[in-house]
Amino acid sequence: MVLRNCLIFIFGITMFLVKPVYAYPERIISLGSSITEEIYLLGEGNRIVGNTVYCARPDEAKKIEKVGTVVSANVEKIVSLMPDLVFATSLTDKKQVHKLRELGVNVVEMPAEHNFQDICANFLKIGESIGKFPQAKKLVEEIKEEMKSMQVKSIKLYRPRVMAQIGANPLFVATKEYFIHDFIEMAGGLNIAKDAPAGQYSREEILKQNPDIILITTMGMTGEQEKSEWERYPSLNAVKNHKIYIIDSDKFCSVTPVTFIETLREMIKVLHPEINNE
Amino acid sequence: MLEVRDLTCGYAGSFFIQHVDFKVNAKEIVGIIGPNGSGKTTLLRAISRELRPENGLIMLDGKDIRQMSFKELARKMAVLAQSINPVPLTVEEFVLLGRIPYRKNLQFLENKNDLEAAEEALRLTDTVTLKNHLMTQISGGERQLVFIARALAQQPKLLLLDEPTTHLDITHQVRILDLIKRLNKKLGLTVIMVLHDLNLATEYCQRLILMNHGRIFREGVTGEVINYKTVEEVYKTVVVVEKNPISGKPYVLLVSEDEIKTDLPDR
Amino acid sequence: MNKKILKWTICIAILLALLLAVSLFSFLVGVVDIPLSKIGEIIANGKSDSRFAILFDIRMPRIMLGFAIGGALSIAGVILQGMFRNSLVEPYTLGISGGAALGVCLNIVLKMQNIFGLFSLPIFGFMGGICVILLVYALSVKQNVLRIQGLLLCGVMISFICSSLIMLIMAVSRSEDLHGIIFWIMGSLEESNWLLIKLMFMMSILGLIAAYIFCFDLNAFSLGEEEALHLGVNVERSKRILFVLTSLLTGFSVSVAGIIGFVGLIIPHFMRLIVGNDHRILIVSSFLSGAIFLIFCDTIARTIIAPIEFPVGVITGILGGTIFIYAFMKKTCLK
Repeated sequence: MVLRNCLIFIFGITMFLVKPVYAYPERIISLGSSITEEIYLLGEGNRIVGNTVYCARPDEAKKIEKVGTVVSANVEKIVSLMPDLVFATSLTDKKQVHKLRELGVNVVEMPAEHNFQDICANFLKIGESIGKFPQAKKLVEEIKEEMKSMQVKSIKLYRPRVMAQIGANPLFVATKEYFIHDFIEMAGGLNIAKDAPAGQYSREEILKQNPDIILITTMGMTGEQEKSEWERYPSLNAVKNHKIYIIDSDKFCSVTPVTFIETLREMIKVLHPEINNE
Repeated sequence: MLEVRDLTCGYAGSFFIQHVDFKVNAKEIVGIIGPNGSGKTTLLRAISRELRPENGLIMLDGKDIRQMSFKELARKMAVLAQSINPVPLTVEEFVLLGRIPYRKNLQFLENKNDLEAAEEALRLTDTVTLKNHLMTQISGGERQLVFIARALAQQPKLLLLDEPTTHLDITHQVRILDLIKRLNKKLGLTVIMVLHDLNLATEYCQRLILMNHGRIFREGVTGEVINYKTVEEVYKTVVVVEKNPISGKPYVLLVSEDEIKTDLPDR
Repeated sequence: MNKKILKWTICIAILLALLLAVSLFSFLVGVVDIPLSKIGEIIANGKSDSRFAILFDIRMPRIMLGFAIGGALSIAGVILQGMFRNSLVEPYTLGISGGAALGVCLNIVLKMQNIFGLFSLPIFGFMGGICVILLVYALSVKQNVLRIQGLLLCGVMISFICSSLIMLIMAVSRSEDLHGIIFWIMGSLEESNWLLIKLMFMMSILGLIAAYIFCFDLNAFSLGEEEALHLGVNVERSKRILFVLTSLLTGFSVSVAGIIGFVGLIIPHFMRLIVGNDHRILIVSSFLSGAIFLIFCDTIARTIIAPIEFPVGVITGILGGTIFIYAFMKKTCLK
């Protein structure tokens, strides 16, 4: 009994002394807004000592020291904050990542996210890196369960053909590498640009495809203008059925597993209003 | 001094001078004359090594000019082109450029020789007062004198001039050519000049080379080359050749077509 | 004569002093406040002090690159303006920047860095630049004579073609790649590879020495190619060597730091207004001024809206253009 306790004690001391940094980084810097949000989701927002000027959610994140933008980080600032761990995104300047590593900073690069699977995988990676893997895993499983139950109802119904416009002048449609594609497909819709190699469509092509629903991500005034543009073509199904929606683009830019579910719920309402979910 | 043997040279696809053969002795003043397009400037360009000959040889002081380095050539021969771009340099700086052929490999500043040569050149051309003026601020006639000064700074043995008197009034024309003659006498400078004006050519040159259609039509002492038959044949216009009452050199008189109808005096 | 040498010596002395001053300024100024008094302490602490890393691993390489690239681009500008006898010519006119940008574009889009490592980016850039310049050269040589005006025309045309190709690639690329391309094009003195920094530094100094050897040739060139020939300059050989030199200087600069405009255009032009056209002083003073200018612009770029950094090309353009217009107006008004 005593021996066992001693061994545990010695083990504990050793662990404390060795203190592998990657298991529990105290000072974290996040170079991506979804990463910041996800760290807060895991309850560890207080460990963040630096983030980007675009990290606006949740509100507390705005008050944290800023180290640059998503694309360009200020290496000097980062080093001065003496972080244990820096999360970089696929948009972070590779040269800066290299420089930070050369200066002895621990940088974890998060791969680009294009769909729900990617978001979950990255979330788990973050959890693992900050020592909160079990919590992350639990959250992901809960969300996957909820997703399954949501999809059960919508998947059997008729799949409306959806065009998601994410750019005007030039006209740009979301292809399968954008989150909105996942939202459409998972909510029981059909993205007309599913198999397109690139998103540059001509208005003519869209008219030919004749989508049932048009989603326009908010681009300020342009969003309204685009809607009026489409309404000039009464032959479009979307116009006939008054199914042109302007949606908040923010929801589709930096997505966490939690915001994914919320947005999916909304998307199902839009695509399949006949389902009375919730 | 200069020997041109069977020279064929020109511009690909168009004009060529052919089988040009002549000699220029040291301390001579030779003029190259001929109608427009006869090849005068082409010949001068060949001698100054601007053009590459198709055939033939040009020897300066017994050495093939193509075997010399450009620097070596520039020390022996100076060229005054027809027009030079105006540069914002002072007269002194411009004349000092003429010392570039004498620069040694790691020499970056002008040495005593350079400064003396430049000073001498300015003195000979009577342009010392213009030393600190900008090239862009002096008159055409003065500029021509400064060009000659730069050529003199090269301390050459042979001076090539391409129509040095174009655009100048008669005062400056005479001034420039008198200077050339003086330099020839004083420094023993050999001169070859392309001239448009036949009378200037006869007055100042000892020998003339008359070009026509890319070949030498006639070559020799001024009196031999300039006679009414030769001039009429080459220039295809009626002329009268008389003797200059003061210098005794031949001069060419033009006749307008109206006057030809009347009886011509014994030419 | 002595007056001229005195004037030149004073000029160089002033520029060296300015260089030292601006380098010190850049060394001490940044997002993180490091007062001069603490420098000794920091050096004593060595690598354990995070500020040591900031000073010697972040700021110093930038200053060194600013010196090397500012100098290299200025010299390239001086040479080109001398050869073309046109003071609106700059190192990018020959098309190198277009080619380099195209090379970098392809590298990013084809994900070459994952296969060949981070070093592949500048190499692709350099090769892109060299390919373009060889093409431009081949198109401009007729009968063994390098036609200067041909260089200009071909360079500009090929630049256009490269830009269009780059835009094409950008139009079909993914957003991560797009950002990478755009930010590279905007230019940055941030570089982590010490080998590259040392290489650039050496190249720059060698370029200065090589250019200086041709100072008299360049002086002669100001009168025109024919006149230069009459003055004993081996025109064809000089043109070719200077062409290669400019290509190397520009190619290296662009590969390491992206496209930093205006330095190669404004500095030689500006120095011409101050010290005159004699290349013996113009080359050295342009090199030093270019270095000073770029180091200064980079410092401004990384501090003015910290922690966000402006691309250094933005600052060189705005600052350079404004200073130049001011100086030009002043000079013409004085007349």
